Amino acid sequence: MITLNVNGVRHEVQAPDDTPLLYVLRNDLQLIGPQFGCGLAQCGACAVLVDGKEVRSCITPVASVVNQEITTLEGLPARWAKQKRLSAEEAKNTLHPVQQAWIEEQTPQCGFCQNGMMIKATELLESNPHPTLAQIKEAFTTSGPSPNLCRCGTYVAIIEAVQHASTIMANGR
Amino acid sequence: MATMSEKPGLGFVPTLSRRQFVKAGGALVVGFSLVGPEILKGDAAKPAMLKNSIDPTLLSSWIEIHPDNTILIRTGKNDFGQGTTFTAYRQIVADELSVSFEAITTVVTGDTDRTPDGSGAFDFLGRGVPNIRKAAAYTYQALLGLASERLGVPKERLAVKDGVVSGGGKSVSYGDLVKNQQLKLTIPVKGELTSIMGLTIDGNPPMKPVSEYTVIGKSFKNSIIRSKVAAKETWATDVRLPGMLHARVVHPKTLGSTLISAGGVDKTKFPNSQVIVKGNFLGVVAPTEWEAIQAADQVASATKWTEWKGLPGNAKLYQHLREEADWKSAPATKGDANKGDAGPALAASHKKLAATYQLSYMKHAPIGPTMAVADVKPDGTVHIYTHNQNPQELRGEIAMMLGTTPDHVIVHAYPGPGHYGRSNGGNAGAEDEAVILSQSVGKPVRVQWMRADDMQWSTQSAAAFSDVQLAIDDKGKMSAYQVDHYMPPMQDDRPIGAVLAGLPTMPAPDVHSDFITSTVNNISDPWVYARVPNVMERGHGTFQVGQKASPLAVGLRDHSMRTPVQFQQNYPRELAISEAAALAGTDALQFRLDHASEERVIGVLKAVRDASGWDTRPSPRPAPVSTGSTPVRGRGVSLMFRNLTYWACVCQIAVTPSTGAIVVEKCTLAVDPGIVINPMQLKRQVEGGAVMGISHALFEEVTFDESGITTDDWTSYPIPTMADIPEIKVVLINNPKVGTYGGGSEAPNALAAPAIAAALHDATAKMIRRLPMKPAYVQALLKT
Repeated sequence: MITLNVNGVRHEVQAPDDTPLLYVLRNDLQLIGPQFGCGLAQCGACAVLVDGKEVRSCITPVASVVNQEITTLEGLPARWAKQKRLSAEEAKNTLHPVQQAWIEEQTPQCGFCQNGMMIKATELLESNPHPTLAQIKEAFTTSGPSPNLCRCGTYVAIIEAVQHASTIMANGR
Repeated sequence: MATMSEKPGLGFVPTLSRRQFVKAGGALVVGFSLVGPEILKGDAAKPAMLKNSIDPTLLSSWIEIHPDNTILIRTGKNDFGQGTTFTAYRQIVADELSVSFEAITTVVTGDTDRTPDGSGAFDFLGRGVPNIRKAAAYTYQALLGLASERLGVPKERLAVKDGVVSGGGKSVSYGDLVKNQQLKLTIPVKGELTSIMGLTIDGNPPMKPVSEYTVIGKSFKNSIIRSKVAAKETWATDVRLPGMLHARVVHPKTLGSTLISAGGVDKTKFPNSQVIVKGNFLGVVAPTEWEAIQAADQVASATKWTEWKGLPGNAKLYQHLREEADWKSAPATKGDANKGDAGPALAASHKKLAATYQLSYMKHAPIGPTMAVADVKPDGTVHIYTHNQNPQELRGEIAMMLGTTPDHVIVHAYPGPGHYGRSNGGNAGAEDEAVILSQSVGKPVRVQWMRADDMQWSTQSAAAFSDVQLAIDDKGKMSAYQVDHYMPPMQDDRPIGAVLAGLPTMPAPDVHSDFITSTVNNISDPWVYARVPNVMERGHGTFQVGQKASPLAVGLRDHSMRTPVQFQQNYPRELAISEAAALAGTDALQFRLDHASEERVIGVLKAVRDASGWDTRPSPRPAPVSTGSTPVRGRGVSLMFRNLTYWACVCQIAVTPSTGAIVVEKCTLAVDPGIVINPMQLKRQVEGGAVMGISHALFEEVTFDESGITTDDWTSYPIPTMADIPEIKVVLINNPKVGTYGGGSEAPNALAAPAIAAALHDATAKMIRRLPMKPAYVQALLKT
């Protein structure tokens, strides 16, 4: 039995230690934000935050993250609510500013990679609330195990959404 | 109803099912359709109805008006990320019905038992008249008829705004009009549901004049984006059925290997795994996904296949195509724009070009590998849950494979990773494999391809080459243009699992296949240089490379991919036109203007010239440089007409001669689709397409040896990263006087390549005539 802390909730799961975290999240915990893209940590579709750092769940053994705080796309609103100390009522109707910006900028095309893009954006903006264009490009290209890849070519929209999210976060809503 | 999706609940989506709706809202819909003799001239054609289909001749199968004034629309077209069904379709229907965008609360897409028309996720706007527009136009006439009766006012004296019909001092809402009505009215429909083109609504209902559009033209948001971004959407990848097993497929060692012996599963390590063998098809199923993956790896390593070497290898590809491929069996085709006599004009000219242009094989390369869940029930009914561009055609293919009829097969369509044409003929790879395995084990089975399966066992966009000859006359004008396009067929719709298992499929592309799957290479790039007096375009087709030699009948299978065939013909043309301009000593953009006569061609060229800051001068630039480690800059232009839309593109690049690395610094696109339906969505489509175009131009090449494809992941098949993208500028030209709307998500992926190649020539005076322009190839060229 493995105990995981995901999105602020403790879960007991039965899985071999070497099972990639992705399959536990998707198949055992029904957390479907992270997607299977390559299984090789080459694209970022499966990204989650582990203690605030972007990690590729497709190659991360589940036993290696037992004592850590895992956040999936589903957990971004609560993460934001906690950081901003929003009331339970407010939190219920709030998306993370990154998600909000992704909607307002109409960022996704097919959207399959966007889980990883939003996770990466959250990681970036938590450490650097006002990134420059160069810093955004660096974050999505060289900061992780591989660049975060989008086959639909939505990079322009991602950059605009990161900048928009930065503004929303600064305004505190 | 607040949501846009109407999927059966799988535990993740808070949608209101139709049953819940009935409970919540009382009367559900008025089955309502009409078409009296005044609208419908001639008999309503009625294609044979299939069980598990909805009646396409019933108007209510397309559009439901509810008593609460909400509206539901159904389309067989499945969204692939461009959002057209959730934005443009709602806007088109809203304007035809004179209702608000928001009144259309539900869009049902794709599922074979809940949508009427079939066909593929391509050409969404149907050359200006998609089925849903005609359905809306018929519905509007029906509503006017009802209102006329109700209000006692002739139809001509009625006015409609926001779903309220007024006339003679009285008014009534659509919801009140349909309340407690039960009209079964029919519309004419033609075509074949399970074919690539599906069904088309016939007849000519009156349509709303463009001048009365109020919803079209505005930037409404794509509703599915919210649910995807909030992790509330059910993707195909999320479907889990009770008792479902996970599966991985062990594909053959090469594209021609047959099975000698299947490896057994090590039961000490994988006690719950099972190997399924059918012909040369091998699958491993297990209760958990991780066990299935590991057991499949172990089985793969213990399985023996025959060796096969029947491919030319990519180093000898063009030599093979030129010298060994059979271009005689398929009849040559000729372009519609052919005129004059190119031969004498070429012979008479002193300035001429004869050049060959080559495009590599490319992968659709969805960001998630293909997957499907299949559930073959004991009574023979088959349910498939997947992301697919043509669920109705898939239904036919699965029925053929199983020796049953399409009414036994139901395809449930879900969002998934875009794959840009791969399944527009019915399958993307995993669907039939899931069916074979589910039938074998008697349980639902989920087949997920791994990254290497998707790179090595899917279809690809065909390689091609073109021989161009052109002549410049004494006045610096192009006096003749002649091209011979050579390309293997682009539409192999055979499901791969069925092929491997030896089960029935449609034939591989052949001379005698139907028009779209045949080996005949049609001219697909409309000619836009009307002032050239002598034009000769010819197309030559052949068979898929290695397919006939492969004991599996596989080889390099090809399938249409975004702007198919037209890309392969436009790239050589547009690069050759830039070469012609250089030969004439004229600016490449001005040269195009000089040879065009259509107002919209001239319009996009001028728009892209102005927006890109184009400096008018001949190429190459003064003092071009092809050596050294200092980046050199250049610019190039390209032009295309596709699906009623005119496109022009300028790319400004920097190339480092010593490394051959090209960086695109700025990409400007001018787009004239006629009526711009949704500026925001169109802009996003164009930006994405432009990035894919840069990817095709600089990065994408399927490599293969004599046995199979050697690109197997994102390292061996790279696509652009965020660091590779230029500043992208999109100029939308709203041109309502044209009266039609054209497509927006195909074409931009083809525009960058010829513009970048021309820019490289502008910078260096060296012309590269092959794609992709990888650094090694550019470096080699610059050394010559």
